Amino acid sequence: MRLKIVENKQIAKDVFKLRIDNPGLFEIDPGQFLMLKINDYPFPLLRRPFSIAGFGDTIDIIYKVVGEGTRILSKKSKGEFVDIVAPLGRGFSINSAKKIMLVGGGIGVAGLLYLKDVIEKQYKLPYETYFGFNFKEEVFVNDVNIATMDGSVGFKGNVVDFVADKLNKDVMVYACGPTLMLRRLAFLCFDAGCSMQVSLESRMACGIGVCLGCVILTADNRFKKVCSDGPVFDYEEIQWQAL
Amino acid sequence: MAGSINLTVKIGNLIFKNPILTASGTFGYGLEYSKYLNLSKLGGIITKGLSLYEKLGNPPPRIVETPCGMLNAIGLQNIGIDAFIVEKLPKLSRFNTHIIANIYGAEVEDFVRIAEKIENEDRISAIEINVSCPNVSAGGALFGKDPDMVFVLVSSVKKVTKKPIIVKLTPNVSDIAFIAQAAQSAGADAVSLINTITGMVIDTKTKKHLLANKTGGLSGPAIYPVGVRMVYEVYEKVKIPIIGVGGIYNADIALQYIMAGATLVEIGTANFIDPSITMEILKGIEEYMENEGIKNISQLIGIAHSSK
Repeated sequence: MRLKIVENKQIAKDVFKLRIDNPGLFEIDPGQFLMLKINDYPFPLLRRPFSIAGFGDTIDIIYKVVGEGTRILSKKSKGEFVDIVAPLGRGFSINSAKKIMLVGGGIGVAGLLYLKDVIEKQYKLPYETYFGFNFKEEVFVNDVNIATMDGSVGFKGNVVDFVADKLNKDVMVYACGPTLMLRRLAFLCFDAGCSMQVSLESRMACGIGVCLGCVILTADNRFKKVCSDGPVFDYEEIQWQAL
Repeated sequence: MAGSINLTVKIGNLIFKNPILTASGTFGYGLEYSKYLNLSKLGGIITKGLSLYEKLGNPPPRIVETPCGMLNAIGLQNIGIDAFIVEKLPKLSRFNTHIIANIYGAEVEDFVRIAEKIENEDRISAIEINVSCPNVSAGGALFGKDPDMVFVLVSSVKKVTKKPIIVKLTPNVSDIAFIAQAAQSAGADAVSLINTITGMVIDTKTKKHLLANKTGGLSGPAIYPVGVRMVYEVYEKVKIPIIGVGGIYNADIALQYIMAGATLVEIGTANFIDPSITMEILKGIEEYMENEGIKNISQLIGIAHSSK
């Protein structure tokens, strides 16, 4: 569906927040995503998958300019249109029995912001956020527990190091970020016996389970589709060494 | 006005309500798209390539975007013919459209056994033999590059089925018309062309191939001029119907294929980007015919060949 851009502004170094008109035609669960067509056919050809950073009067995504598609998107202005397919994929399931920790890295933090909203406003559950960035200029959230690799804001170092001693069997981690970060976090969670749901990224063409381009290897040596079996998985389903 | 337009076309005795098919591998098993369009409005659905047994396919990364195209190396991941018949076919049967099973094997015997399993399934209207997948090591495009192999394969499948046989050809050959003639001689009822064009992309940061399989098949708008040219060449050399496929994303390109000699067209990669694109293309063809005062689509097939 073609929807009007309400706002598209830079919020950190190479990071933009796009807010589009919510037509009220669908609901979206935290962790679900949309596929956005940046231009008319045929370039860029494929839609781009984006996690939902906010859902209400507008549908919000936060994206980093990494290639030609996101560069073109960053030039779009209020009043222009984009075409989306949504809602897609399986989102997070919220477990109220455990201590909730949201752990994000880089642009992956965007994939946890709508979940944070829902946990706070709908479920009214206590939670903690731990968000990591490379340096101050990349930080696009105002949360308490920030880690930066260069120490320019908050904890100095990797967000995984930041949370390492806080993991135990009573903790439920919701994570989104670079693959290497998630892999390290997964191994720590295995050791600590804590639960974790992760939102994964993958190259995808269709977003609806057809092209089979986005598969990941699961613990039982089979392939699962990030777009329709995920993008949120229980961390124990995934063969982390293969990522 | 639209009611006076005749869009029906035939392969053998099989009548299609319109010339719009979905290309194998780009439409799943059909059901995935049922919430985006009324499948009964399609001329037909060509399934994901089906093998004798379940196939896991290639390791990821499996796809990469290129200018106006994409490269894939899925490796024919599918649930296998038996699971398709039990799990998917009954649900697909609700829709009033032709189901065409795209089949794939590593050996001639595999194709024959799959065709045997399909033979008594009335809801499968035809078989599309895939001799053109560039992303698997055994069989695949190796069959499609050798006219003798195509002849043996089609003849062998023909012995065990009465269903129309379509042979999907690879463009990765020097003379595609020569291969199409071999398929026709063996009794094929139609040929479809083209499948993807073998390509490669290298990541200059890692200095390695972007696809785990190293090479992949190029599809999307970037390849349509190659497909139109090949349909044009094959039309000059064979009498059986041609199905045009490759990079069709709007009615104009579909019409180019038809004018080059295609009786039907398959829509592929464009389904990924717009799940209901087939209906837009169908509407566009109808509008074109209305505007041009053309009542029957058969008037357009091969019209670009001045000598025919």
